[in-house]
Amino acid sequence: MLDLDLVVLHMEAETSNEIIQNLGALMFSKGYVKDSYIEAVLERERNLPTGLPIGDFCVAIPHTDSGHVNQSNIAITTLKKPSIFHSMVNPEEKLNVEVVFLLAVKDPNLQIQLLKNLMSVFQNKELLIKVRDASSKEEISELLSCLDQ
Amino acid sequence: MRKFNVLSVCGSGTVTSSMIAEKLKEAMEEQGIKITATEAKPTEALQLSEGGNYDFITHTSPLPKGNYPVPTIDAVGFLTGFGEDEFLDEVMRVIKEIESKS
Repeated sequence: MLDLDLVVLHMEAETSNEIIQNLGALMFSKGYVKDSYIEAVLERERNLPTGLPIGDFCVAIPHTDSGHVNQSNIAITTLKKPSIFHSMVNPEEKLNVEVVFLLAVKDPNLQIQLLKNLMSVFQNKELLIKVRDASSKEEISELLSCLDQ
Repeated sequence: MRKFNVLSVCGSGTVTSSMIAEKLKEAMEEQGIKITATEAKPTEALQLSEGGNYDFITHTSPLPKGNYPVPTIDAVGFLTGFGEDEFLDEVMRVIKEIESKS
């Protein structure tokens, strides 16, 4: 399920908006999401941010309503340098995020297994560190093979 | 089996609320408790909870200020894995309190 075209290593981006736009454009170009998707994700991130601290390693899981999605998928990027996302728990708090998972979920009820697998990925700090340090898309795909179930 | 209705709240009412609901169901089943969950956005939470159908609310995004008629429990620790035990302890505490009143 993991589409390697949606995996970007060492993205150079200044802001969370840029990251969302870059990954969103990849999703859109492959038809996974509608043209309203990127703006919806940006808007949601502004009001209800998705930064998560996993101990001292921070990730972000931007996403929006299923109405903007054609087909579920996940875009992943590791960042050349950490970028600021705000915390889901405390929207005022800034987190230095190192790995971003842009999510497009068509039907959460049908995709419970994917969501559970995803949850176990970002609860696993060692795995996240390996993903961040990966040197190829194939390596990331292998590390995250649990998402293919 | 003891049954409880949970309102699981997150920003989009889809992704993290489903993750929390699913994980909570599994954890509670081990304790002999059946959880039924409904997912919602923060803006819907107050109105839905006033309907009287839910025993407690779990949330990953902050809830808008208001008088919620049922206990609200912060679920981010459960989501990230940091603070999982505290979350489950709080859920069990709330459940016991509800049971002692009925």
